[in-house]
Amino acid sequence: MKKANSNSAVFLGAALAIIIAGAPSQAQDEVTAITNAKIMTVGPAGTIDKGTILIKGGKITAVGASVVVPPGAVIIDAAGRVVTPGIIDAHSHTAVEDGVNECTNIVTAEVRVEDALDPRDISIYRQLAGGVTTANVLHGSCNSIGGQNATIKFRWGAESGAALLFKGAPPGIKFALGENPKRSSFTTGTRRYPATRMGVEVSIRDAFLEAKAYKKEWDDYDASLKAGASAGPTRSGRSAGGLGGGAVQRPPAPRKILQMEALKEILEGKRLVHAHSYRADEILMLIDVANEMGFKIATFQHVLEGYKVATEIAKHGAGASTFSDWWAYKMEAYDAIPYNAAIMASHGVLVSFNSDSDELARRLYWEAAKAVRYGGVSEDEAFKMVTLNPAKQLKIDKWVGSIEVGKDADLAIFKAHPFAPDTRVEMTLVDGKVLFDRSKDVAARKGVAATLGGGQ
Amino acid sequence: MSRSSFLATLAALVLTAPVAVHAADAPIVITGARVVTVSGGILENASIVIQNGKISSVGSGLTAPAGARTIDGRGKTVYPGLFDGLTYLGLAEVTQGASGTVDMNETGDINPHAKVWVALHPDSELLPVARAFGITTALTAPGSAQGGASLIAGQSAVIRTVGDTPSALTVKGPIAMHMRYPSGAPVVDFSQGPPNVEPKTFEQRVLERKKNQEKDLARLKGLIEEARAYGEGLSSGASLKVDLPMEALALAASGKIPVVMRANAEADIKGAIKFATDNKLRLIIAGAAEAWRCVDDLKKNDVAVLIGVDQLPTREADPYDAAYANAATLHKGGVRFAIVTDDASNSRNLPLEAAMAYAYGLPRDAAIRAITLSPAEILGVASNLGSIEPGKTATLIMTNGDILDHRTNVTVVIIDGKETSLENKHQRLYDRYKARP
Repeated sequence: MKKANSNSAVFLGAALAIIIAGAPSQAQDEVTAITNAKIMTVGPAGTIDKGTILIKGGKITAVGASVVVPPGAVIIDAAGRVVTPGIIDAHSHTAVEDGVNECTNIVTAEVRVEDALDPRDISIYRQLAGGVTTANVLHGSCNSIGGQNATIKFRWGAESGAALLFKGAPPGIKFALGENPKRSSFTTGTRRYPATRMGVEVSIRDAFLEAKAYKKEWDDYDASLKAGASAGPTRSGRSAGGLGGGAVQRPPAPRKILQMEALKEILEGKRLVHAHSYRADEILMLIDVANEMGFKIATFQHVLEGYKVATEIAKHGAGASTFSDWWAYKMEAYDAIPYNAAIMASHGVLVSFNSDSDELARRLYWEAAKAVRYGGVSEDEAFKMVTLNPAKQLKIDKWVGSIEVGKDADLAIFKAHPFAPDTRVEMTLVDGKVLFDRSKDVAARKGVAATLGGGQ
Repeated sequence: MSRSSFLATLAALVLTAPVAVHAADAPIVITGARVVTVSGGILENASIVIQNGKISSVGSGLTAPAGARTIDGRGKTVYPGLFDGLTYLGLAEVTQGASGTVDMNETGDINPHAKVWVALHPDSELLPVARAFGITTALTAPGSAQGGASLIAGQSAVIRTVGDTPSALTVKGPIAMHMRYPSGAPVVDFSQGPPNVEPKTFEQRVLERKKNQEKDLARLKGLIEEARAYGEGLSSGASLKVDLPMEALALAASGKIPVVMRANAEADIKGAIKFATDNKLRLIIAGAAEAWRCVDDLKKNDVAVLIGVDQLPTREADPYDAAYANAATLHKGGVRFAIVTDDASNSRNLPLEAAMAYAYGLPRDAAIRAITLSPAEILGVASNLGSIEPGKTATLIMTNGDILDHRTNVTVVIIDGKETSLENKHQRLYDRYKARP
């Protein structure tokens, strides 16, 4: 624990320690310095064996081996530690307990995860303890076209769901193919449409035919407005004193349909499609439908047979967010192999690992290490699969995913290399704020135990 | 069979048989390896001699027996074969949506006479996958953690992960009688859609669960007493009508085999200990998520636990690393435990669960012991399995690195003195698709 401008520097080998010089609040103009750290930037600077990161206003303002720490800075001495970008989970349902699946219709593009976010979900804190700072919180996989996602930051302590939202992240939506929208693994007795992969295809095609018609209606309306506007003053005649008899009739606006609005945004390339998928045939099916209807798939999620059609996925330009090694838990996962990430990456697909689980999310850094084991992905490329690659897939890489000047100070501080067996997360920062500190967590337990034990 | 095909078959036998016999039975010497014996420390640059399916010697300066095949162990590490102390390997292929492949849970509540070793599927694709990543040995048990398990689910077996028939897979059975401790905790399961709970108050549900628990425990107690009497009758030579459930349950009631009871909550773990003590059962607890809350009880009663690591805390206010640190707490408290996956397709991740326990405080040697010798001891097969010692079965693995490291690969698997194929479904599909244009 030390101050940059004091002589009483104390090196703590066992625990990370912070000291705040001056006022204890983290003001906007205050500088935090993480010093003496091994820094895996995952950016152009590569790995810096011993360096410093400066943080101001929640952003990284400097990173390098010879960065000068300004006087008065809050120092986090990370000697012997490894600093990495915060982990990004491209498929999560954290903070939407009991709000994941609006299961009642084939298409529920109108519902929004952001309306159901719970900032007090303890899973947020538990995942910070695994170094996760950002998550793509998705609607469930109950419907061919599900609800709208929310890209969030794990701002533990936030008062509202809205305060978790990742500002600037483009909106997205969940699609789902195969057994889940078919409901074949879950439902017995009466099933709703679709009950086959044929029906899944039809339901998506139907929805987009309708959406295209809806879009045309609005495009025509917008065009007619524009045409009217370009006619200038004659449109209303108001310039002539408000009594002009030659006013152009304003066309009636089409009715706004929330479900269609979301699909229209997909057609316009404004909303990212995240498509839950398992089998190769259904992956190819969705690519065909997307090409026909004129939209792009941002990511295939799970995509466990992606390795069989990696070329086609790469050609479409979709990313792939997969599990490291889960398989055989249902029929469509029977051909899942742990080499999936390696094969897709070698075919030019942008690959990430996701958790889809409040539990697995806490050890995504080790999930990434499995790409080294299965298929020989390099360590740097493997670690990108839980940092920069998911950031690119969610189109938030200008803010997060690597340690670079100007990016958000979303950082994880590991005890050792994130792939090492003796590693664990010691500290996690979001927007430059320390939201998880293991040494404080462990210290606090003693207090809790004393309270609960009620010795006296 | 036509004469020509008979001759062809005979020719094939003549040609291949001597080679096959030689390969299978030839002594093996592993040289120059780092050997993690588990029972006797770590030996650097050591050799292991394997003959007749057994480890005949371990150390340096050993002489290779005549005709021995040498496996170069330089730069490699040898461990005892990994032992997953609770799985359903061989008993289920695809758990969700392919119920025809699932044989873990028999109907009805009382199935002590259900035996896993009659239902093992030797061609399960899950076995070679587990084996290729070092799982040589497993407890295959009836009664799944996901629910649907009988109060008495049946008898487990220790299996090897290679074999052409159920009996070839089986190392030993029965190992234990598997039961579910009737939990007293009210459960409201929201995981599959809207809550399907009766319109009752929380207090009413608590009372109801308690009542059901008492009823189930009384029923279990009665059955165990009946089985004990039946077993005593049999051994005294009385002519008794054949009663398969009683005959089977007598094994546990008499203490010939232990009882593995599933229990996770503190109250259930302590309840199971009391029940076992009252009814003179040899108890092992499976699940045991809150074992760290019961260290004194477990230690005092010498009850071993089979635990998972990669799990969420059971209570919202628990430390985030409660499940990760469970093993370290038990180790410190002197409780016997093994780390298990309680799974089948994910069984290969057993050392990675041990790694998480290591990362959260369990000493390295204890972490490796928890997936090798400890399960062998707890399940009563340690005289042959679990460590690299002369006289034990030659079931061991060689790796290109630290078994607790996610980047490490297994390079050699030897089961019962025979090097087994690492070929598996995943490798096959990888080879087929990795270069697809």
